[in-house]
Amino acid sequence: MSRMHVVVTGLGTAVRGLGNPGELLGDRRPGGVPADPVERLTGRGLRYKDRATKLAMVAGEEALAAAGLIGADGAPTVPGESVGTVVSTNFGNVDTVCETVATIARDTYLGTSPMLLPATSSNVVASWLAITHGLRGANLTLCNGRTSGLDAVNWARLLVGSGRVERVLVVGVEPDNPAVRHLAPEQDEFFDGAAALVLESAASAAARGVRPLAELGPYARRAEHTRAVADVREREPRAVGLWCVPEHPEGIRAPGASLGPGPVGGVRDLSELLGPSSGALGVLQCVAGTAWLAGAAPDGADDVVLASAGTGDTGRDDAAAALILTPARSA
Amino acid sequence: MSWIVTGSGAVASIGSDTDEIYESLVAGRSGLAGLRGYDRGKFRAQVAYEIDDRPAPGVDEPLRATRWLERAVEAAAREAGLGDDLSSVPVLVGTTLRELRSVELSWRDGTPVEVADLHFGTMLRRRFGAADTHTVANACSASLYALALATDLLDLGQADTVVVAGVDTISESTYGLLDRCYPEAPDRVRPFDRARRGMLQGEGAVAVVLRREADGPGPGATVQARVRGVAVNCDAYHPSAPEAKNIAAAVREAHRRAGVGSADIDLVMLHGTGTPLNDEAESAALGSVFAGVEPSPYMTAIKSMTGHTAGASGLHSLVAAVDVMRRGSVPPIVGLDDPVESVAGFRMVRGQAVRPEEELRIAQIDSFGFGGLNAVAIVERYAGDETAGGDGAAAVREEGR
Repeated sequence: MSRMHVVVTGLGTAVRGLGNPGELLGDRRPGGVPADPVERLTGRGLRYKDRATKLAMVAGEEALAAAGLIGADGAPTVPGESVGTVVSTNFGNVDTVCETVATIARDTYLGTSPMLLPATSSNVVASWLAITHGLRGANLTLCNGRTSGLDAVNWARLLVGSGRVERVLVVGVEPDNPAVRHLAPEQDEFFDGAAALVLESAASAAARGVRPLAELGPYARRAEHTRAVADVREREPRAVGLWCVPEHPEGIRAPGASLGPGPVGGVRDLSELLGPSSGALGVLQCVAGTAWLAGAAPDGADDVVLASAGTGDTGRDDAAAALILTPARSA
Repeated sequence: MSWIVTGSGAVASIGSDTDEIYESLVAGRSGLAGLRGYDRGKFRAQVAYEIDDRPAPGVDEPLRATRWLERAVEAAAREAGLGDDLSSVPVLVGTTLRELRSVELSWRDGTPVEVADLHFGTMLRRRFGAADTHTVANACSASLYALALATDLLDLGQADTVVVAGVDTISESTYGLLDRCYPEAPDRVRPFDRARRGMLQGEGAVAVVLRREADGPGPGATVQARVRGVAVNCDAYHPSAPEAKNIAAAVREAHRRAGVGSADIDLVMLHGTGTPLNDEAESAALGSVFAGVEPSPYMTAIKSMTGHTAGASGLHSLVAAVDVMRRGSVPPIVGLDDPVESVAGFRMVRGQAVRPEEELRIAQIDSFGFGGLNAVAIVERYAGDETAGGDGAAAVREEGR
């Protein structure tokens, strides 16, 4: 399966103030009082969808459209069975859970709305993405701590590699609400948004005539950050042109030391730019990395992008994950 | 490719290990009891299938799911000869509700809860040194979905051994919302009975150790069963209601992956939640898949005794199927007194356990969840005289087609 080339063919974001994925590479924090991205959603049925679902729907639709997988009506341009869905979120549905338990304490079960039942299950975001676009392939939700976004991208690759699906919509999302703030009292900033990408086999992209933006390289989830990075760098030794770092990168060794020889370019701390994004981070990193490879990388360079999430060995997380993105080969 | 189960462990309301659970199932012993950890005055429904381990009646505590998961994984790893060191073994945990009950206690009562304990990797790292761990929140088909992912990891050469687990506790938000949804409060889980009133939740955890059959069980372990294939898909239809057509597609794909036909299935572990929507969708799907198969496979539904153990339920059914095939008795669907019309052609096990004279060799395990998530596994009895990876295994496999 390491022989199968899996490429990125579409990107999407739903972050207040962020115009396009390329802005993840800029130094400017999204500022002013920009429009809420979920205002882009129209139609019925929004009332009972939670914030995470709505953010994911905006980013997901953008990525699917960019990859040419849905038409103007939102319906897939390929068989729905061939498209999988993978979502990463840690806090996606805690608002529904907390509001409901408070309602029961106050008004008994009679005070609750049965329409909220699906959102008590943590897969509700992936469920609505599939329903909205008719994605009938394997459908996964990863709630795996701070590495979750990178883990989700790798599971999407495995679903393609195993032949279960030909392409996958991956979305990382975290909402900002009182329940999330309650669970992370030490944080003073909170991310509210989603990032999405479409992954498919290089063969599928070629058959559809879609230009790959980047290719997935090796992935590892290990107990220590240094081991996760060393593991992927061993398998992909090309120079790292961009390193997207974990939340709380303070305890992590400098890239020069942990990345081995070769020039190291920019270091991006997306948590610093947008607030700690937990389960969304890995997907945001891959969107930023793809945008860099597809546009901002120096001409003629063969540099790769390293993304790492979770710090493992510093004691803040149970593990660290690392993933490399490489330039897309021209077909 | 086929895979072997080399260790298993489970806890539920009806038993604290796989033996106790099997014995309870065969005896028709249910875990149903009055609500133990909630204020009963807040609900119309008054019963559930809880594990009785709270510090005092009416007093709840966080991290119970994590505790059960630890026990199930520990038992499975020991049986598989892995001991307590899972530092080089991926662990995939399927769950509907993660530690959201702990979040409820934190939000409502101020009980301290660490964010890191919301996913199970934190405990798995501390207890077993495991780092390649994945909490898959795939609703009530989560543990069989995780089993499918594990077979893929082994197929693709990404691992030699994988621990697959499932775990769920009851959250008050789901219990209350289910109570709100049903016209009458369910008195118990009665799959496929005309008097069914809906689903009641159960608690528990379960784990199995999976390897490629060609590699054998490894040192200190024996083969408990052979996994022939696992299919997964998504209805993309409704956030909570199932779709019969897509369930049938998942069953057919599982048969195709396993290289079996409908007539080869000896036993079906039904998803069987006792909700009219699910029961009807499942019986319609199985009616089409098993049309013309006479007599039908034996069919049973263990949720009638364990309650709906949600993300753990698929793997609970799988471990039960393995024990049924090894030990010979098929547990009854407790409370199935007056079956609905749609199961009239099926050999539903009722009243008490049956002990078929013929060997039960191939089982189908159904598991469906919110979001239209369907997972179906085909598992084969592993005869004691077979040698994993040897000619015997191949011969049995050929004969099974």
